[in-house]
Amino acid sequence: MTFGALLRLVKLSVRRDVRGALSSVFGVSIGIAALVFFVALGLGIGRVVREKVFPLDAQLVEVVPSQITLGSILGGGKIDQDTFERLRALPGVTAAYRKMNVRVPAVSRYDGDFFGTRLHMGLEVLAVGVDPELVKNDVLMGDFKDPAEGQPVPAIVASRLVDIYNNSFAPNRGLPRLSASLAAGFQFPVEFNRSFVVATRPGPVTAATLQLVGASDRGILAGLTIPLDTAVRLNKASGVDFETFSGVTLQADGPSRVPELVAHVKEMGLKVDEQERRWAENAGAAVLLTTGALALLSLLICLLAAVNIAHALSASVRVRAKELGIMRAVGASKRDVRALIFAEAAVLGAVGGAVGAALAIAASYGLDALALSHLPQFPFKPDTFFFIPPWLPLAGVGLGVLASLAGAWWPSRDAAGIDPARTLAG
Amino acid sequence: MISARGLRRSFSDGEGGALTVLDSADLEVAAGELVAVMGRSGSGKSTLLHILGGLDSQYQGDVNVAGVSLRGLSDTALSRFRNGTVGFVFQSFHLVPGLNALENVALPSFFGASGGDARAALERVGLSHKASRQPSQLSGGERQRVAIARALYARPKVLFCDEPTGNLDAATGAEIIALFESLNAEGLTVLAVTHEERVSRAAKRVLRLESGKLVPA
Ligand SMILES: Nc1ncnc2c1ncn2[C@@H]1O[C@H](COP(=O)(O)OP(=O)(O)OP(=O)(O)O)[C@@H](O)[C@H]1O
Ligand SMILES: [Mg+2]
Repeated sequence: MTFGALLRLVKLSVRRDVRGALSSVFGVSIGIAALVFFVALGLGIGRVVREKVFPLDAQLVEVVPSQITLGSILGGGKIDQDTFERLRALPGVTAAYRKMNVRVPAVSRYDGDFFGTRLHMGLEVLAVGVDPELVKNDVLMGDFKDPAEGQPVPAIVASRLVDIYNNSFAPNRGLPRLSASLAAGFQFPVEFNRSFVVATRPGPVTAATLQLVGASDRGILAGLTIPLDTAVRLNKASGVDFETFSGVTLQADGPSRVPELVAHVKEMGLKVDEQERRWAENAGAAVLLTTGALALLSLLICLLAAVNIAHALSASVRVRAKELGIMRAVGASKRDVRALIFAEAAVLGAVGGAVGAALAIAASYGLDALALSHLPQFPFKPDTFFFIPPWLPLAGVGLGVLASLAGAWWPSRDAAGIDPARTLAG
Repeated sequence: MISARGLRRSFSDGEGGALTVLDSADLEVAAGELVAVMGRSGSGKSTLLHILGGLDSQYQGDVNVAGVSLRGLSDTALSRFRNGTVGFVFQSFHLVPGLNALENVALPSFFGASGGDARAALERVGLSHKASRQPSQLSGGERQRVAIARALYARPKVLFCDEPTGNLDAATGAEIIALFESLNAEGLTVLAVTHEERVSRAAKRVLRLESGKLVPA
């Protein structure tokens, strides 16, 4: 039987029982709509977790000193310049960035104008110096380097901190919301080796002015990221360790090389900070689990749709037994008859799948619009909760077809098994 | 054209026993013959026709129709045989609802028959002016003509008719019988099974199916 003949016969049977066809299409479309919707939601939330909440770069490895004393016996444990050079020379490393905490407490006392609001506050400040290359793409003004005497120290905040500030801190305190570019240029005084809460070193207090120059995913979450040389200088001035690093960020030559790199780092007696990665994985797993369960539920609906189609086709085959018999008499083989029933199911499934995917996409747009207008601002609130890659609707249509074909399995067997001699006599 | 030897066909009678309908029946029909097989109801006329036409393969014996030996043919091969070598006409017409007259005539083309001319076939049975009518818009006689046109579509070698006038009144039945006669005059081999005298009167040869065997009437 040719494809054209098949198509005409399918059209004929659909046209003759439009209601039955619509009911089959409806069943499939509900199942596929639910499935596409929940998968898109899972992918969307997963993306928010990956890109906004835990913006991990899969190619970055965070090396930190080992606290195990055994490491120091073997010459490892601490990260000095020598260790850094060895880390940088590891196979698969394309770049390495040093990090050094400012190892004395610091406070900021601010009393003045804050973007149109009067701000009076004292704050403990954590600062980490990094190799400027690490954040160079996010620096919006000036050079990210230790400034000359009397010049402000450039500082970068974590993008996530900006998000949290904007969506929970600022609204509660009547402070203005800020974007990275708006905040850039803001200056505030910081005193190093001073604290409101802990005892400080006997060394001198170093006063400095810090200037925000941008926001970066690579900035530390709970504090300020400043040039490495500044951190070295401040530590030196305060009489604390200014020679070993608090950590090194290694850039691997692709995510696939990370495991190998991690192994090498551990061989050197150093640790890899996998805290963020673990959080991200846990959050990702939670999203996967919830949306996976919902997707499974949708698969169940698809299964019901398949059963529904099986019933509908069974009934239709019984009603059309004579007609199928006459087709056999004029030359249809068992395979032709079976193909006909499968083709009918495939068309119903494809239409149902397409309608379902369209419904899901429409629902996702609707929900995003509702969230935008009705949900309050909250940290990491995304523009969209959904991610619909092009393969998703296609897979939806495919699954609709598959479910229908599964439903057509028995009816098509029944149809092929019709004995024309019996249905046509008399 | 048709040669059947030692045909035997039995059905289970539903009570564990077997009902033998054909019992070593023999049949020879030459090309261009118009043969009628008579027999009372339940004697196995339809059963015989289904076997000869390749609709039933659960029999014993040998069948050869238009040079095709049917024994052991696959379902696909038997379907091709029904599609192109023989044509069927049934008592209750069996047109496909939803397809118009012309489309019904062309039905064999859906399953492979090529080179047929549905319009010419419809013309041959005198119904070209009702080509776009639905079966429900045709009279019984007209439906049977469409069914005959469908059987003729692929230019078959043999036409098998099962009570072709069973559902028609005297005048209409006579027209259909006349149609068979003229098709036969053009060289088509026709085998009709019936219990109607008016059909057998038109036949050049009449056989009786009795106790599972074919005997000259
Ligand atoms: N598929 C079947 N299963 C069981 N019995 C059958 C089957 N087909 C036919 N029979 C039996 O075989 C016998 C012959 O049937 P067949 O239809 O060939 O008779 P017929 O001569 O065509 O009768 P009629 O003139 O009423 O059409 C009948 O007794 C019928 O009940
Ligand atoms: Mg009969």
